[in-house]
Amino acid sequence: MAATNSKSRNSAQRGARGHVLSRLDRWRSYRDHHRSTLTSSATKILREPLQSLLTILVIAIALTLPAALYLGVENIRQLSGGVDASAQISVFVKKGARESALDALSETLEGLSGVASVRYISAQAAVDEFEALSGFGSALQYLDENPLPDSFLVQPLLVSNAERLVTDIRQLNLVDDVQLDLEWLQRLDALLDMGRKLVLALGAALGLGVILVVGNTIRLAIQSRRDEITVVKLVGGTDAYVRRPFLYSGFLFGIFGALVAAILLTTLGFWLAGPVDKLALLYRSQFSITGLGLGGVVTLLLIGGTVGLIGAWLAVGQHLRKIKPR
Amino acid sequence: MSMIRFDNLSKRYESGYEALRSVSFEMDAGEMAFLTGHSGAGKSTLLKLLMLIERPTSGNLLINGKNLNRLPHSKVPFYRRQVGVVFQNHQLLFDRSVYDNVALPLQVAGYSHGDIGRRVRAALNSVGLLDREKHNPIALSGGEQQRVGIARAVVHKPKILLADEPTGNLDPQLSTEIMALFKRFQDVGVTVLVASHDINLINRMNMRIMRLNQGEMEQDGISYGGY
Repeated sequence: MAATNSKSRNSAQRGARGHVLSRLDRWRSYRDHHRSTLTSSATKILREPLQSLLTILVIAIALTLPAALYLGVENIRQLSGGVDASAQISVFVKKGARESALDALSETLEGLSGVASVRYISAQAAVDEFEALSGFGSALQYLDENPLPDSFLVQPLLVSNAERLVTDIRQLNLVDDVQLDLEWLQRLDALLDMGRKLVLALGAALGLGVILVVGNTIRLAIQSRRDEITVVKLVGGTDAYVRRPFLYSGFLFGIFGALVAAILLTTLGFWLAGPVDKLALLYRSQFSITGLGLGGVVTLLLIGGTVGLIGAWLAVGQHLRKIKPR
Repeated sequence: MSMIRFDNLSKRYESGYEALRSVSFEMDAGEMAFLTGHSGAGKSTLLKLLMLIERPTSGNLLINGKNLNRLPHSKVPFYRRQVGVVFQNHQLLFDRSVYDNVALPLQVAGYSHGDIGRRVRAALNSVGLLDREKHNPIALSGGEQQRVGIARAVVHKPKILLADEPTGNLDPQLSTEIMALFKRFQDVGVTVLVASHDINLINRMNMRIMRLNQGEMEQDGISYGGY
């Protein structure tokens, strides 16, 4: 009872003094202000559709380019994942191995973990193939004996397993030499690596572009609302209060730009899906294009919003200071 | 304790122009006074110092016993919330209604919606413009616009009310009405300082008059018509 009484007396005093606010009131009004600032920033963007659309499109294009390149690189990477089949390990057997030993070796190879299949190529078969394919067949006639060894072609399940398999196989008896042809895969890997770095560089350059575009738009907005800023400062608006609507505008520009970029990328995906499927069919591949996905859209929105916010922050920091009173 | 105290205050602008020279005066809480002098005498500078738009070059400015010289930049907005200002050009925003113009100081200070509504209507009522709250200020007459400016200056119940040529472009009758309004705020305990060069009007009010001349306090006292 006593507590309630003193509380009500407190609030009465507060009312009488007129300008003391409770913490809860302050928080509520702070939240309300954030909400109303967000809606008013959105309506301001929509009220000048042409100017806003221009800014949003520039942001969208700047986000679409690196994102499209990124998706391209990712798709190629997935495609390269499907070509594990082409990484083969050639296992050359020591000369003069007996038939039974070869059988035993074949079984050992098949028993290794990570091996998909093993194919035996006899020395004679190898010579026949060489004769047929190289065109130097007649040269072999001058040799006393077949220079080629018996060999096995081992197919690893995964390219990433191949290197380990090679060391395992090297330790086996009867094995003379092991060769792994990963060169073209490594080239592709290097290419993809370069692609990813290109995405980063392009993304950084265009991200800087977005910051400048948003910064310029916010600078114009600050100039056109000079009177309002002056009055707000004179009646006791804090710097944060003055900054807030501009930061929201920048954030929203980034978000809208990212949304348009997501729409562009999805459209691009649909447009390419048909030809890609046709191409995959010709190569008897199961490959089909992977789009942005929900995670990608969310990431794009986050990047857009952040970059927009940074642009607005820089513009606000630079231009608000010039408006008197400080 | 005095509400406003100028203690040998001088203001020299960066251009070298000396706007105020060693000005000293005091005003008690609930006192009303006029600040007069030719244009360029330093009236506006004095008000700007009180609003912390400008800082003094030397001397002390004490409000309610607190020295403003020691107030950091981050605290300036909170100081300004204790001061109401009426501008000569009224500084109303024409992109919003009368209501929203008057509500601005409350929104800035973080009042709740309900509180804002009540206080804005009370302020508009006190200047006789309650029926105009939904209008755009551009549609109002000069006198009405000035009254909206006054409502905005008092809506948050400031301790100090400053006015810079509030009757600058108004006819004598409207000017008298505006002055009567200021007097009403003084009656409820607000310290009111009005800068004006409208000598006739000021003399009719029988109040304390401070006259600045080339940045110096030339005269400070109550004038009865004579002058």
